[in-house]
Amino acid sequence: MAKKNPNRIKEGSPIATFLVHFILFILALICIYPVWYTIIISVSEPIAARTLNVFLLPKGLYWGSYQQLIEDSQVWVGYGNTIIYAFTCTVGMLVVCAMAAYPMTSPYLRGKKLMVFFILIPMYFVGGLIPQYILYTRLGLYNTRWAIILPGCVSMWYIILIRTFFASIPEELREAARIDGANNYQILLNVYVPTSKPIMAVIAIYTLVAQWNSWFAASIYLTEEPLQPLQLYLRRMLILQSNAAGTSSGGQGGATSDSTEAAMLMQLSAEQLKYTMIVVATLPIMLVYPFMQKYFVKGVMVGSLKG
Amino acid sequence: MSSNAAAPAKKKLTKQRKIMLLKDNAELYSLMLPAIILIFIFCYIPMYGYLIAFQDYKAGSSFWGPDTEWVGLKHFERFYNSVFFSRLMGNTLWLSFLNLAWGFWVPIVFALLLNEVHVMGYKKFVQTASYLPYFISMVVMCGMLVSFISPSGIINKLIVALGGEAKSWRTIPSAFAEIYVLSNIWKTFGYNSILYMSVITSIDTSMYESARLDGANRLQQAIKITLPSIVPTIAIMLIMQVGSLLNANTEMILLLYVPATYEVADVIGTYIYREGLSGGQFSYTTAIGLIQAVINFALVFIANKVSDKLTGAGLF
Repeated sequence: MAKKNPNRIKEGSPIATFLVHFILFILALICIYPVWYTIIISVSEPIAARTLNVFLLPKGLYWGSYQQLIEDSQVWVGYGNTIIYAFTCTVGMLVVCAMAAYPMTSPYLRGKKLMVFFILIPMYFVGGLIPQYILYTRLGLYNTRWAIILPGCVSMWYIILIRTFFASIPEELREAARIDGANNYQILLNVYVPTSKPIMAVIAIYTLVAQWNSWFAASIYLTEEPLQPLQLYLRRMLILQSNAAGTSSGGQGGATSDSTEAAMLMQLSAEQLKYTMIVVATLPIMLVYPFMQKYFVKGVMVGSLKG
Repeated sequence: MSSNAAAPAKKKLTKQRKIMLLKDNAELYSLMLPAIILIFIFCYIPMYGYLIAFQDYKAGSSFWGPDTEWVGLKHFERFYNSVFFSRLMGNTLWLSFLNLAWGFWVPIVFALLLNEVHVMGYKKFVQTASYLPYFISMVVMCGMLVSFISPSGIINKLIVALGGEAKSWRTIPSAFAEIYVLSNIWKTFGYNSILYMSVITSIDTSMYESARLDGANRLQQAIKITLPSIVPTIAIMLIMQVGSLLNANTEMILLLYVPATYEVADVIGTYIYREGLSGGQFSYTTAIGLIQAVINFALVFIANKVSDKLTGAGLF
């Protein structure tokens, strides 16, 4: 498995090399296998899927649960909402945070210290969940899309990250643009934003993934299903349903024998349907994350620099 | 406030400069305005709202109005004297501590092992695989977990195959901490190793070369060169994690716990969610939230101060 590098003076024993590779293989397997298992269950024959006796490769091939899911309009509503929230928040986040970060690098800004404090304090001391809930209700945000979008458009941390990046842009560029008669809006748009694509990409991708996967705020502020993102639909199906089923599932084992065939088929596909839902909801992220990982690596490094 | 302080300095400026400066600041503040408004509304007003912890808040009234009923520390006393105080504090600290004790070293060891792989394709594969759980949503991870540990799930199949007994793990209180910690590690160890990896790759390779010339084997190189190089990073990460000891993963627990496991799984965040939002005890749970926020503030503040001392660099 391990190729020896002839350039190395001393590589250590081949047993150690093998052991390292083997341990890492196990770790990689632990990360991948649950997802793989979910995929193969979702496409296996219903009978095999019911008993969950599928371990390495799918048994047969069956798209029935996918068909059933595609016909479920709730999935599409959830998907649509998730896309709306993810994209508006990403665009909003970039615009709002870049606009807020630029002045903090300007030598002309008065009261900079005060603004820094204004941004730092909420990072240390968070407001209460209940007051927040009351506030949203009183602002009329409850059960509107704005409850997700507006707070999703600002992050103190991202303002700081962009500010740090902006601060590394040579001050001469700003002065040159000022001499040419550009105002601050033009300088931000034509000088700072174009040179800051790397940090913008990092923040866009972090926001996109966070919004795609978020459910907590929506579970509090969006009780109407037509507004809910995909993750809430998944929560209903995967978690809440099995909470309710948890008490009755014990007795079901023996009872299935006298149920009709149709009811049994329903039973058969219920578990498989869950696995299918997971695949359908996670597939977009699974497909793109290998290409996004370099931005995440960059994000960790930018974040650790701390100004 | 600070513009007043700057006023004397401005006197020396020519009128033209003054107008320029005024125009500049008008532009700059207009740029910051959206962020200021959003932060003010969504971060500062909920802070102000902590006032209801000292009242008997009635739904529909404002945080501070003529009809406000001030009750002092009633809600704090009630919490302190209830069984939930020690239970919630205990669970929160215990789950965070277990997470730290079992999860903290995994990304470090992982990064050290990964550093020993010189086949680039394999290294890349393992790394990519380890990031996968980080991108899976909390709901999906918990959904998978609930299914895997159900009586007919794959975990029980494995246990039965090994000669054990299938159980409904989700409803067994003594199993909750293990499930919580293990799935937390699964989700984050790859992502958390990124920082260590980036520090390791920045180590001067000539150090390894001279160590090899002196006859050091790989284990010795890892322990004598790589590990000491990442110790500062390890120290800072440790301090930061201690700073967030009171932040058990509320989102995950909300998805995983069931009434049967409340006794060991209920943390401050889940209690506020349940009793405050679902139960409508606004003032009482806000008092609990305030206690958490204050302790958190102190912990994070100290953690940051200590790590700034170590690195010599603050946030600003």
